[in-house]
Amino acid sequence: MNYEEDIDITNEVDLVVSAYPVQDDDLDEELLAADQSAQQYQEIQIPEVVKKFILLFHRSVLENNVYELQSIYEHSFNKLTEKFYANESWPEPEGISSLVNDDQVFLTLYRELYYRHIYSRLTPTIEHRFHSYENYCDLFNYILNSEGPVALELPNQWLWDIIDEFIYQFQSFCNYRNRIKNKTKEELALLRDNSQIWSCYSVLNVLYSLIQKSRITEQLLVSKNGGDMVEAAGEYGSRPLYKMLGYFSIVGLLRVHCLLGDFTLALKMMDNIELNKKQALFARVTACHVTTYYYVGFAYMMMRRYADAIKAFSHILTFINRTKQYHTRSYQHDQINKKGDQMYALLAICFISPNGPNLEDPEVIEQGVTFEPVQHYTKIFMAEVQHSILLPTLRSYLKLYTTMGNAKLASFLEIEPEQLRTLLMMAKMRSRQIKWVEGTLLEGEYQGTSDLDFCLKQDMIHVSEAKIGRRYGDWFLRNINKFQDILGGLELSSRA
Amino acid sequence: MARVSNTPASRPEVIQSLIDGVDRYNPDNVSILEEYLATQCTNKECDAMANLAILKLYQFNAHLTNDQVVNNILVKALTTLPEPDFNLCLYLLNEQMVTEEPVVRLIALQDLIEQARFADFWKLYEGDDIYKELTAEVLGFEDSIRANIAGAVAMTFQSIEADNLGAYLHLKGQALADFIKAQGWTESNGVVAIPVNKDNEAKTTVLTENIKFEQLTKVIGHSNDA
Repeated sequence: MNYEEDIDITNEVDLVVSAYPVQDDDLDEELLAADQSAQQYQEIQIPEVVKKFILLFHRSVLENNVYELQSIYEHSFNKLTEKFYANESWPEPEGISSLVNDDQVFLTLYRELYYRHIYSRLTPTIEHRFHSYENYCDLFNYILNSEGPVALELPNQWLWDIIDEFIYQFQSFCNYRNRIKNKTKEELALLRDNSQIWSCYSVLNVLYSLIQKSRITEQLLVSKNGGDMVEAAGEYGSRPLYKMLGYFSIVGLLRVHCLLGDFTLALKMMDNIELNKKQALFARVTACHVTTYYYVGFAYMMMRRYADAIKAFSHILTFINRTKQYHTRSYQHDQINKKGDQMYALLAICFISPNGPNLEDPEVIEQGVTFEPVQHYTKIFMAEVQHSILLPTLRSYLKLYTTMGNAKLASFLEIEPEQLRTLLMMAKMRSRQIKWVEGTLLEGEYQGTSDLDFCLKQDMIHVSEAKIGRRYGDWFLRNINKFQDILGGLELSSRA
Repeated sequence: MARVSNTPASRPEVIQSLIDGVDRYNPDNVSILEEYLATQCTNKECDAMANLAILKLYQFNAHLTNDQVVNNILVKALTTLPEPDFNLCLYLLNEQMVTEEPVVRLIALQDLIEQARFADFWKLYEGDDIYKELTAEVLGFEDSIRANIAGAVAMTFQSIEADNLGAYLHLKGQALADFIKAQGWTESNGVVAIPVNKDNEAKTTVLTENIKFEQLTKVIGHSNDA
């Protein structure tokens, strides 16, 4: 792929890092007042142990102590959440700024956790949604547009969660925006006036900018084809923070494009990632590993590449099953199991509508009628399933015969002979699928995917079934073992 | 090299770099892609990836949507069935478009082809002038559909009654005879013989296990120890 420096989407879509203009001054003042009173309130309320935690947290960020940060991020934060903040938000960022010398970078990172906690435990308000977006802009602005690469180092898990959460909040916002019933006038006005917040373009811009800055594409090409990695990675990409963010952004784009219903483009994002390679980067973070396979499998399914879809799903389900015992400790566990259950049930993912309802249209607002992407996709997909509904029955009859008259089978199925001919042609077309052999995920070759095949000679159906040949390997192995035992026994008795 | 579905033999370089990079999101580039579609409509090639890029731009910038272009993309996708392109296009359209003419008409055609109900397809297609209007800009639409139907027939049949074949292809008399000849099929006494190919041979295959030497190193290593 080609993300040269001079191709810069920020020129066309200038969104990512400019804070949104607040047009409602009254609201702004109100928010400020609320913030201030919250600040006074919070300072009294912060428990001593939480204060200590924040101090340690701050020091670890300053010292780039990834090891300590890992434990803070995966354990301490969650423990304190259970104890103090199960049903309320963490202390306001403004309330702790005096503890951390008003360190803006730390506060941005803290806010990332603060808002994420609100999203997962409480119900985010429109202000939360806007401010969280603004905070992501600050974070990515700091990472992408500082003078030179930033020295920050974070655990891989957190870096993945940043990308994952960024997309989740985008998805959540699209769904929120789509539900215009039950919204106050003020909320609708805010949405109308800030249409660039959580816009598709801004989200894509972030992900592509991270990919570009980290030169991850170039790095992946070098790791695939050989070459000078240091040169490929460059000043930014050689730092783990940039490299991993770039890599996770590729998986992020896979997900975003699936959510938007563009399955071809979703798989195209993975052009330079080799799924079958052991030690692939996505495997470093379990949640990333699961997400990757889930969306790859889903995209294949929607492209009618069922054999490839099944392969992706069964790979990851086996993986989840095998590793279940190891990741029970963390909060990830729940999410991963949820994904697993979703795959077993093949539940549709939550699609999103990229533009949201037209809030300028009074009729739309009055009736609250909005575009529901899930229904739309389900309808298209179900039409396809509907066509195939007779195929299993057809198959079960074919399995019983080697030759059979068309009219006879038609009478078994209680359809007209002409209908059966049609059905057989459809079955034939369906049994040939593009299946991955080598190369990028989008590539593949047409292959028969069924163990049952047939052909028609006028009105006579000839059926053939794939047979499983004799297994020699197992037989030889057992006999080699037996032979070794005998040899061993002989040696023992000859010594005796 | 394995194939990506519906990639033309040669794709112009400007299009390749457009769909590979971030320029595919730039609304200014929609006209380049639309012109490329117009070329596809006249030269019988189909570049699904490039056409999906047009729909993507429409998805993000609804005001750019050109109904005629959407129509032509879908008609093009009809000519590639049973590839999944048609549905992949539908997923990128909004619900309103999918429930309105002319998309509903095209979905009706798709539905019949997907089910291999070819005779019904022609009945619907010929039954109303609207379908010829909808497909007018895609040169050789009927021929492309016929070619795909011939493909489905050749996958399924080793021999077929000429009358049945004629109904699937919507051809009669000399036109049918010419078509049969062009495919390399032969007709005698009202039965068309189709040469055996890998899809219609229905040969019993035996799956044999394939053990590589590397997989045996453990056994061999073990026997050396003993």
